[in-house]
Amino acid sequence: MMTDKQDKSLSWQKGKDEELKGQELCQSLVAEGTSTGLDDIEVYYQQLKSLEVVIEKNDLQLPKSDNYQGVGIRVFKNGSMGFASTNDLDQNSLKMLLEQAAVMAENSPPDRNNRLANPEKLERVPDIYDERADNIQLGDLIARARSFMEEIKEDERVTVDTAGFSATIATDAIATSRGIKSQDSQTYFETQAMALAREEDEVSSFDIEYQVSCFFESLDVAESGRSLRDKVVASLGAETVDSFRGEILLTPFSAVMLLVSPLIYAVNSENVQDGISPWKGKKGKQVADKKLTVIDDGTLPGGVGSGKFDREGLPQNRLEVIKDGYLQELMYNTYTAARAGRKSNGRAGGGAQNAPDIAPSNFMIAGGQQTSQELIGEIKRGLVVNRYSGSVDPVSGDFSGVVKGGQLIEQGERVKPVREVMISGNIYQMMQNIAGLSREREDIMNFKLPYILLEDVAITGK
Amino acid sequence: MNIAENLKKVRDENQEWLELRYHHRDSLKLQVKNGSLTDSISTTLSGVAVRALVNGSWGFVSTSDLTLEGLRKAADEAIKAAREAGSIKENRIQGLAEIEPVQGRFDLGEEDHNSREEPDLAGKIKLLMEADAEIRKAGEDITASQIAYSEIKDRKIIVTYEGTEVEIIDPKCDIGVVAFGERENQQERAHTSHGVTGSWVKLFAERTLSDLADKAVELVRKRLEADYVSGGQYQVILDPALVGVLAHEAIGHTVEADFVESGSVVQGRIGERVASELVTLVDEGNIADAAGRVIVDDEGVKTSRTTIIEGGVLKNYLHNRESALKFETKPGGNARAFTYRDEPLIRMTNTYILPGESDLDEMIAGIADGFFLKGLAQGGQADSTAEFMFDVLEAYRIEEGKIGKPVKGLTLSGQAFEVLKSVDAVSSDFEFGLGRGYCGKGQAAKVDAGGPYLRCRVMIGGQQ
Repeated sequence: MMTDKQDKSLSWQKGKDEELKGQELCQSLVAEGTSTGLDDIEVYYQQLKSLEVVIEKNDLQLPKSDNYQGVGIRVFKNGSMGFASTNDLDQNSLKMLLEQAAVMAENSPPDRNNRLANPEKLERVPDIYDERADNIQLGDLIARARSFMEEIKEDERVTVDTAGFSATIATDAIATSRGIKSQDSQTYFETQAMALAREEDEVSSFDIEYQVSCFFESLDVAESGRSLRDKVVASLGAETVDSFRGEILLTPFSAVMLLVSPLIYAVNSENVQDGISPWKGKKGKQVADKKLTVIDDGTLPGGVGSGKFDREGLPQNRLEVIKDGYLQELMYNTYTAARAGRKSNGRAGGGAQNAPDIAPSNFMIAGGQQTSQELIGEIKRGLVVNRYSGSVDPVSGDFSGVVKGGQLIEQGERVKPVREVMISGNIYQMMQNIAGLSREREDIMNFKLPYILLEDVAITGK
Repeated sequence: MNIAENLKKVRDENQEWLELRYHHRDSLKLQVKNGSLTDSISTTLSGVAVRALVNGSWGFVSTSDLTLEGLRKAADEAIKAAREAGSIKENRIQGLAEIEPVQGRFDLGEEDHNSREEPDLAGKIKLLMEADAEIRKAGEDITASQIAYSEIKDRKIIVTYEGTEVEIIDPKCDIGVVAFGERENQQERAHTSHGVTGSWVKLFAERTLSDLADKAVELVRKRLEADYVSGGQYQVILDPALVGVLAHEAIGHTVEADFVESGSVVQGRIGERVASELVTLVDEGNIADAAGRVIVDDEGVKTSRTTIIEGGVLKNYLHNRESALKFETKPGGNARAFTYRDEPLIRMTNTYILPGESDLDEMIAGIADGFFLKGLAQGGQADSTAEFMFDVLEAYRIEEGKIGKPVKGLTLSGQAFEVLKSVDAVSSDFEFGLGRGYCGKGQAAKVDAGGPYLRCRVMIGGQQ
């Protein structure tokens, strides 16, 4: 079957995606909602078309295709707010959805800070849409998977547990009773892979490789494969070490969990207002080492976190969160801005399936002067932490966890891979004493991060 | 024509192996923080997943277009994707383990006769707001509160090539309560949670919202007064919640057949001693009320009880139909998909260690220098090497057989099978304890896990 057709490969599930279809749908629902006597209404539309090829156990496991379209409606009545969403877009279901959102509002207590944002000028961010994306087919992703696997198979000790090669076209649209209306599209391509190495009875720990870009051609999957292969093989023969206090060099990947996630928690205005951020009352004060500068920029050309508007239809922008260690600005959405008696700074996050929360756009830590190799050269005795498997309590900052793919460094030289070694301490305290940041940075999801050298960390071995 | 008829029609029109799964989910999420209702969200997610097995490969397409035409298109695309992938796949799928086709309707909340007494939306919001207020009224040291409730009502229809035709009704709900405290500039938080298959009434049948709120306050106060400890190897008691985390996270994942094939630490070790003879560990889908309850999985296979470790000896892995054929065994119903947009993966359901015969007090009395560890604080992680790291919620020093001061900032880590080999006492208690836990493996799955109290040796990470 299908032999009479010209397309040799599965491509996107074609939907009715005419120009501004999402925005028009949002506008018509706003009009309908307003006519039922609601005080205010916001309709958010999201379409995600994705293709993915999954590798498991060094072999192609699954080609996948998905086409999600949904709307989320927020309604406001007498100070109360309700939210309902669906991916069933027929007329009848949408009518029921409006009613459901109204029911949610009627049953919710009023809150004087419930409100919608007023419209502001929106501008498109360049370089976030790959025109080629519409023509990408499953075969292109299979080719990617093959070149990745060719690198992996150069060393037969290496097994890819899972790897995914995906292409996504995302369209977001919004309309509100305050007059906001817009639509924006973006493409992004991801490679993520987990592998381990086996040699006789020894199994290395998992390591991870991740790449993301708005442009298909910008990903170098062969390099991903090489890097992952080399990392897991280098962790073979790992031994534990005696306990000591020393330096740790966080790779961008391990920094995501250990440092970036508590940082984002701490600068979330809601957590500050609720008194559960360690940096409440610290605005304008020094909270970290002078080497630390953090920028969140939703207008970054080519950034996967970039876009015309945030989840509430406000323009994305560039925010200096921390400058030379001083806390400059928190992340606000319209609700928390109302609580603080100020304007939102466009950090409403989320999609059609949830009401707006607070999220960064492209969250970036400024790089330093040295290369990561030079930072390693400065370590007297410490570890390179490739991956961190543990916990971080964002309230207290306490963390404790196992180092994965770790390397012991002595007098600036790699000595041996380590295993069963834990690191622990308090991340907010450690941020106040950063020994160095690398010049080079890597993109992980919507983060852009350098290697980060921290001092005087409790390293627990056997 | 209704959806079930459409699914059957598309299956019958195609010669190829097809599995069609309609999955409609209505969910409700309510969150109260510091006296404000911060989330009141109702969501519908509905669509059909079509999986084809052609040319020795899978193809998977998910669509929300439920018309007959839409389903036909999805089936064609899934078949085409499988064919294309099969042409380059190195190890083609040889087939699937045979099963008895299942037919009929399965209501996982059926035994829950209390669901008629369930409060309406306004009633639920009111009760959550009251409990949230109660937390902050506990004292000046309690600075903030948060309560999150969520419920999922699933309706699935699964139709397969072999003739499985089932309708599944699956209501699940859970609650999480967090108290935040502060003392001398030191901030802490602690949580309690619970999850069930069934209604709101079932959820609070044993522990009321008030009980959960009180417990969260008690725990955060203990953390505020607790001291940090120094790390090292210790003899400890693990409570049922931590035993559940160990059984699920550190052991359970290593015996999922896909991980086994990728080279997990238990590859080729069926029949070997991997734990103390006191340890028997199982995964069982059909347990009434349990949060991970599954009767028929997403490949249309009836769940059974799979004995993973029996008397310390590794007996079985967990399978889907594809892996069961390869390992020449029967699938236990462990293929699960979270939404219609997800393909079935090998997942656990309710994973637990069977109770033993020891008395908890005597177990504690037998420890000269160790810890009593209860519950998971932030999260647990483990590798397919069974090396794990769990962050402990509630911990006490044990000295000379007596429980002493609360301590905090503790993690326990080690290699899970080594820890199970060190088990020298298993209590006669039993509890499921993952609370509102979801398991993540690329997609989510509602699971539960638990067991008795265990006495064993672990590595403790501290901060002193």
